[in-house]
Amino acid sequence: MAINQSTAPAETGLRGPRGEPVTLDVNGATYAIELEPRVSLLDALRDHLDMTGTKKGCDQGTCGACTVWMDGRRVLSCLTLAYSCEGHQIATIEGIAQDGELHPMQQAFIDHDAFQCGYCTPGQIMSAIALLREGNATTDADIAEHMSGNICRCQAYPNIHAAIREVRDADDGG
Amino acid sequence: MEFLQPADWAEALAVKAAHPDALPIAGGTDVMVDLNFDRARPGALLDLTRVTDLTDWGTDGDWLRVGAGVTYRRLIDELAGRVPGLALASRTVGSPQIRNRGTVGGNLGSASPAGDAHPALLAAGALVELASVRGTRRVPVTEYFTGPKRSVRTPDELIAAFLVPARPGAEQFAKVGTRNAMVIAVCSFALSLDAATRTVGTGIGSAGPTPLRATEAEAFLAAELPWETRGAVPESVAARFGELVGSAARPIDDVRGSADYRRHALAVLARRALAWAWTDPGGAV
Amino acid sequence: MSPVVGKPVNRVDGPDKVTGTGRYCGEIVLPGLAYGLIVGAAVANGRVVSIDETAARAAGGVFGIMTHRNTPKVANQPRLIPSLAGQPAPGESFFPMQDDVVHYWGQPVALVVADSEEAAAHAAALLDITYEPGVPVATIADGRASATQAKTLFGGLMPATDERGDVEGALAAAEVTVDATYHFAANHHNPLETSVTTAQWDGDRVTLWDSTMGVRASQLTVASLLGIPLSDVRVITHFVGGGFGSKAMVWPHVTLAAMAARHVGRPVRLALTRPQSFTSNGHREEQEQRITLGAGRDGRLTAIRHRKLSVTSPFDDWAEPATGVSTQIYGCDNYLGDHQLIHGNTMTPTFTRAPGESLGSFTLETAMDRLAYELGMDPIELRIMNHPPVDNHGNPWSSDGMADCLRRGADLFGWAGRDPTPGTRQEGNDLIGTGVAGAGYPVAFMMPVQHARARIFHDGSVVIQTSAQEFGIGVTTSMSQVGADGLGVDMDVLRFEAGDTDLPNTTSAVGSMGATMQSSAVHNAATTLRNDLIAHAVNDGKSPLHGLSPSSVKVADGRMTSTLDPSIGESYADLLQRNRLLDMEALGSWTPPGMDTPHGLLTFGAQFAEVAVDKDLGLVRVRRMTGVFAPGRVLNPKLARSQLLGGMLWGLGQALLEGNQIDRQSGRWALNNLGEYLVPVHADIPDIQVDFVEVEDDVVGPLGVKGVGEVGQVGAAAAIANAVFHATGRRMNELPMTAEVVMNGGGPG
Repeated sequence: MAINQSTAPAETGLRGPRGEPVTLDVNGATYAIELEPRVSLLDALRDHLDMTGTKKGCDQGTCGACTVWMDGRRVLSCLTLAYSCEGHQIATIEGIAQDGELHPMQQAFIDHDAFQCGYCTPGQIMSAIALLREGNATTDADIAEHMSGNICRCQAYPNIHAAIREVRDADDGG
Repeated sequence: MEFLQPADWAEALAVKAAHPDALPIAGGTDVMVDLNFDRARPGALLDLTRVTDLTDWGTDGDWLRVGAGVTYRRLIDELAGRVPGLALASRTVGSPQIRNRGTVGGNLGSASPAGDAHPALLAAGALVELASVRGTRRVPVTEYFTGPKRSVRTPDELIAAFLVPARPGAEQFAKVGTRNAMVIAVCSFALSLDAATRTVGTGIGSAGPTPLRATEAEAFLAAELPWETRGAVPESVAARFGELVGSAARPIDDVRGSADYRRHALAVLARRALAWAWTDPGGAV
Repeated sequence: MSPVVGKPVNRVDGPDKVTGTGRYCGEIVLPGLAYGLIVGAAVANGRVVSIDETAARAAGGVFGIMTHRNTPKVANQPRLIPSLAGQPAPGESFFPMQDDVVHYWGQPVALVVADSEEAAAHAAALLDITYEPGVPVATIADGRASATQAKTLFGGLMPATDERGDVEGALAAAEVTVDATYHFAANHHNPLETSVTTAQWDGDRVTLWDSTMGVRASQLTVASLLGIPLSDVRVITHFVGGGFGSKAMVWPHVTLAAMAARHVGRPVRLALTRPQSFTSNGHREEQEQRITLGAGRDGRLTAIRHRKLSVTSPFDDWAEPATGVSTQIYGCDNYLGDHQLIHGNTMTPTFTRAPGESLGSFTLETAMDRLAYELGMDPIELRIMNHPPVDNHGNPWSSDGMADCLRRGADLFGWAGRDPTPGTRQEGNDLIGTGVAGAGYPVAFMMPVQHARARIFHDGSVVIQTSAQEFGIGVTTSMSQVGADGLGVDMDVLRFEAGDTDLPNTTSAVGSMGATMQSSAVHNAATTLRNDLIAHAVNDGKSPLHGLSPSSVKVADGRMTSTLDPSIGESYADLLQRNRLLDMEALGSWTPPGMDTPHGLLTFGAQFAEVAVDKDLGLVRVRRMTGVFAPGRVLNPKLARSQLLGGMLWGLGQALLEGNQIDRQSGRWALNNLGEYLVPVHADIPDIQVDFVEVEDDVVGPLGVKGVGEVGQVGAAAAIANAVFHATGRRMNELPMTAEVVMNGGGPG
């Protein structure tokens, strides 16, 4: 049975309509904030935790700019209620570089010029790392299919593919 | 707006009975869009993500029962051999991010005529399990949809699961979309050929007010397929089957395509799906 | 140290972008920040009868509601002028919420300001607005009878007609003619970041963080509309999530954000929602183009008639200029190009990447392909034969490269040996075809004098500044390269600052002119400072370089040395420290040559595409694209390639996916989200190849830089359509070429 680890009322789970305390685990740290039930994880991150690396491109689940990981799997934070994230581990682009050292995927994006305006880039990177973890990046067609939830309007797609291939092949070799 | 987060299935049904206007939400991939733009403002949200009963699957007699909260990703990863047509359809649902959260239960809940899962469920002869504090009922998916975004589900009911035959036929799914991924279907078609019963199942998506079966096409093909000899399907049979599928559709002209194109494309998809299914070495035909 | 201009340097703002730490204009944190939301009209024509705010105000968290009843009147009526001209640049000659009249669907009729996005959205939904609706006219189908000949375009800056010779006579006499009419659906920019403005007042001064392609344009426009001095409007823009033309002009929400911040007495963030980005920042207009070519049997063009009909707003004679390339890329003595307009219930259309040229070239380049088939000529040879050494005024090109682009592209693509017969190659269910198109994009010198500042500190570190901001084109990087080379320092000691109207003026980076304008000003600032430093050294009795002629001093890595004896020299830092100078700075200016410069000004290119067309379903998949371009000096080939490649893939989207239409009954755009208005995704991308033909150009600025932002899109859709013809034998008279268009459309070529 689900265990509610939060400080929020756990009994019948009846909350709202006004703001109530919520506990979110983001990038390994715990944050207690007050939110209304209708707040998406995306808005909670951007407007309440000032983590603006996760981008709002459409708020409709059609662009992928808001991609984060929930328990290690990529999800769209605009289509996820913040309340429903309690007890789950959220990871965002802010947690990807470790001790000031860029993740290999971040460096590969820079080296292959895999972005222009940079607005879709956090989502692309969150998706790209998850893609390699999912093991669905064997062929170019696999990469293209499984990255298609992340729109890049600057059309840096060929460079994004090159960055993903480089990290994939380095992983295989290492 | 209140937020209801039942911890188990019994509580979920009780909460739904007490709050029939509560909007069930699991993956959120359909519901959240309306919330974000304040187009829907239900009195309450019923978050089902903690109800672990909904995320189980297993056999139930001759049926495979899949909880309404099983995500598309799990259908692809865990059940591709048991629900091959649905797994193929699931791969075309949105994006990996959507498939990590979205569920067939949610697709059935919103009952959109463009839902990618529906044709595959129709072709497989699925049942939808609906539950309330009053009890549980299993409705053939052919009787589930009553109109665009409407179904036989009553306000106090929740979708518990869907069921498909435990031994699937040879199943195929095909979809016409304007771009190569992340696309709402212009039209889609699912096919199931069951050699054991010598029956044919079909499902048509995005070409009518509800997902549709092509019953006349099913009967025609079941009678004409060379089940005994396993020989090639005659061109004329494939062509007629395609025509019957096309004429079973009830499409309209809209921004994604005209009614005429949809009928034409469905005929093509039906012929191709038939060719794939009949020669599918992995299929159970 | 070797020069860095021309090197494939990584983006200097890359780390900010891959870590998510770069702050875009909707991510500025200010104490007491409020959230604004525009409410758009739900009719396309008519009048607001009443707005009941009771429920909205009771909803909680609402700081203020603005409607036509309480919105301040603008101080000056907006008048549309392209932002490149360096004047106030409103997107339309109209400002909303000044009265109760509704001209187009989505026109702002109210603005809600609340303590959260959710509260603003809820209050907006609760506003009870009633309209007296009129019948909208917003499409070519409904407005054709009312079409009129435009006199000028762009607020009077451009003539709408271009005529020479006797086109009717030449067509009547032509040995071969081609006549084709095309319908093009409207396009929307859809940058991933929708337009957003954050406004904060401090007394009489307002600061705007605005997602704009030109901070100066926003400043000029807001100051004019509010009637306050330019010195009281500061615009800061450090990151912009894409523009593509949608952020080139200054739309009403920018000024409304400033008005709202004053109205509620706190800073306000006003972002367009994704659906609003279809109704609030212009679009590429629905249009029809007809072209008639006349030629001799030898392939020489004798007549071109190119006409466009499109829909504009009630306020402005706006049309993308469709004929700017067809009038000059191929030599022809008899030419008529003109623009007809329907004034309908839409907002004023606007620049959309490769404005005018993308569709104008589609028309021309698919017609050229038809002509090649008529004549039985290779389409590349036909183009090269007709490409002239001078423009339509007889002026020589500032630099050319067209023929070289076509030939190099043919080599890279593997054009040789192509069987031109349509509909003869099949793989499975797919028909395979290849196509080619020429490309040209104008260099437009309508901007004022450009400025940049270079400043060196006594530790040798350098700051180069200019106002126009980065928005993805890579100026932060390429201007760092230009500044480093101009001053003679390593890129690592140099920081490029931009995106702030407090910095020296450069104009909006639009019309592919950003790199040209900024690099010219930055180069002049950096070389001026270098010359000042050298002059200081040779006049300084304590300098080892004392007494040398300035021309015999060279600089590398921040060190001045004698060209005669490299062991003699000193660093900039030594010079400054010895003289107790904390810094030195220089302003660099560049005066553009002007529109009347006696040169033909186009950036040239060539496009190739291979497609596979599902013969039963009409679905087109682009398998390969090759583009070769001659953009003058390439400051950074890595970034230039990205821009050109982006343009080519925009062409793919325009060819196959992107189109919207206004519903004739409601006057509303049929599509308003990225789930239905389809832009290319990863899975749509072909193998793609970009190459350059280097051409020297001493007309377009001190570095010889032409733009790369838009020419990549020009001709791409035409190459794809020509490939679809080669595959299927069917000519495409419509964009986008949806599966249905491919199955039903066109006819034999």
